[in-house]
Amino acid sequence: MRKRTIGRRRFLAAAGAAIGAPLFVPAGVLGAAGRPGANERIVTGHIGVGGMGGGHLRDMVARMKRREVDVAAVCDVDEKRLARASRTAGRQASPYRDYRYLIDRKDIDAVVIATPDHWHGVQTVHAAERGKHVYVEKPACCTIEEGKAMVAAAKKHRVSVQVGSQGRSQPEAYLAHRYLVNGTIGTVRRVDCFHYPSPVDRRPVADSAPPPELDWDLWLGPLRWRPYNRRYCHGTFRWVMESGGGQIRDRGAHVMSCAMWWMGADGTGPVTVEATGVAPKGGLWDSAVLMNVVYTFKDPDWVLTWSQPGEPAPPEERTSDEARIVRPGYGAVYRGDHGTFVHWGGDGGTWAERKAREWKPGPGAKDVFRSPGHKEDWFTGIRTGAKTVMNIEAGVGVAFLCILGNLSFVLGRALRWDAGKQEIVGDEQARRLMSRPQRHPYHL
Amino acid sequence: MSKKDLIERIGSEDPEVRGEAWQGAGNAGPAVIPGLAKLAASGDFEIVRAAKRALWKIVRHVGRPGAGDERTPVVEALTKLLGARRPPTVRREVLWMLSELAVGGRAVRRVAGLLSDPELCEDARMALERIPGEESLAALQKGLESAPAELKTNIAQSLRARGVDVPGLPCRKLVPSRPTAVKAPGA
Repeated sequence: MRKRTIGRRRFLAAAGAAIGAPLFVPAGVLGAAGRPGANERIVTGHIGVGGMGGGHLRDMVARMKRREVDVAAVCDVDEKRLARASRTAGRQASPYRDYRYLIDRKDIDAVVIATPDHWHGVQTVHAAERGKHVYVEKPACCTIEEGKAMVAAAKKHRVSVQVGSQGRSQPEAYLAHRYLVNGTIGTVRRVDCFHYPSPVDRRPVADSAPPPELDWDLWLGPLRWRPYNRRYCHGTFRWVMESGGGQIRDRGAHVMSCAMWWMGADGTGPVTVEATGVAPKGGLWDSAVLMNVVYTFKDPDWVLTWSQPGEPAPPEERTSDEARIVRPGYGAVYRGDHGTFVHWGGDGGTWAERKAREWKPGPGAKDVFRSPGHKEDWFTGIRTGAKTVMNIEAGVGVAFLCILGNLSFVLGRALRWDAGKQEIVGDEQARRLMSRPQRHPYHL
Repeated sequence: MSKKDLIERIGSEDPEVRGEAWQGAGNAGPAVIPGLAKLAASGDFEIVRAAKRALWKIVRHVGRPGAGDERTPVVEALTKLLGARRPPTVRREVLWMLSELAVGGRAVRRVAGLLSDPELCEDARMALERIPGEESLAALQKGLESAPAELKTNIAQSLRARGVDVPGLPCRKLVPSRPTAVKAPGA
């Protein structure tokens, strides 16, 4: 991290380049007690720079131009993506194929991890062990064990983690949250999430040699080895259970994130999870196409459901000066004693029903946290140590919902969950699936 | 559906027939396992997938609580598939199936035996890491003693995951890897 008022070249010269010529001055050098001040730039490294990672990189490059951050490194296992990202990031950013070299750089304060899901846990833990603050894409983890390790690592190394369920930082999410916590529809006992189905691999192909630009072994990382198949990647990893997990993990990590936050349920969990669904009959992708999951919570008693497709709420009409609902195919219906409330989206686009947007708080009304923006909230967490809006405990808690739903689906039976101990109860096979042994050396 | 019908349907060229067959294979029991393993080693990649998924359905069905009597013969049938006459692609899948079901005895011994197989040693190690109990732990400890140098750190990692202190073999998360050919603009 770098203070805007300090001459970087002079500092570097004084620090001496002989020890590895750091390109940037990290927070540990200039920040008080390891935390940077408001006027210091955060030095970032980007791991996984295609898809969402490319979006994060472009966002950070824009911030770099505003002198808010310095982008010091980009990393990807695909050389074509890496070359493109390198051009985007500029000459000051070093390119890497292997993230482990990036996180070893002492001049980098924070990393943005936007790799396939099966890498999130390992890379977050490794980065935290190197003292890096982390922005990690959702869902936070693929297994219960990974989630616990991520929480423990962030706590032990005192790093700020923001999970990329950015729905919590959307303006209309604030309005929805405020509307619900003020009891406007009474006590909410049921939240029904709806989402269109996961896709079917209708063009299956045989395994083949990986393309020359792709380091397939490093793409697999912690996963058990298997031959390359072009239906695995890039974005299609999402539909493979081991690396993605389907819509319930992709968008469930958004829609159920809103539910857990607005219901005041972060830090809690269901007592039972029961999923039914339909898997694709063929093709590489094996995530549930259709799905219905029921999560039962106790003390307080409420029910959360995830359904593909469920019963989508028709999008409300909006005037030309209101934000248009561009993704009406997913969202949730909140059912209270005195009425219902609907939101659509739940990720970078979160749209709240009109009655929440027009609701005016009276005297004594409760207010709720209003995020300044998902990245801004993360930066505040880095600078002050304050909990981020989608901190690692909350992010892991939501990911656990997704994981448990998928586990119940593949096992074909209901699961009992001890939220306090964060473990499955009374099912030996399911308990073994709370973790997944990882290939050496890509492990927690 | 009879054993013969199930195998025929999973080997069908019609994806609909195949798909319905593997999805309904959960309670087919151990008798169909050799036939499914044969299909899993066949040439058509979609039939291979269907056969493996049928095997997984059986594994998940017999793994349910209270199904110990159904589980034991399935574990025995799967263990037989670890023999060298089956291709590594099938044996690798079976190792992961046993990681969910096996508790000890012959299954663990056969898995441990694959720690010396160049193609399957890593999957065998991970399977043993997941199988709880003293037998799998002892197999890992014995494997550490006899493993070639390049596998020792892997087995040590599994032992650490099982709560065993392993001195002398530090975890090496950062191992040399192929550098990128991409250069920063202007570099």
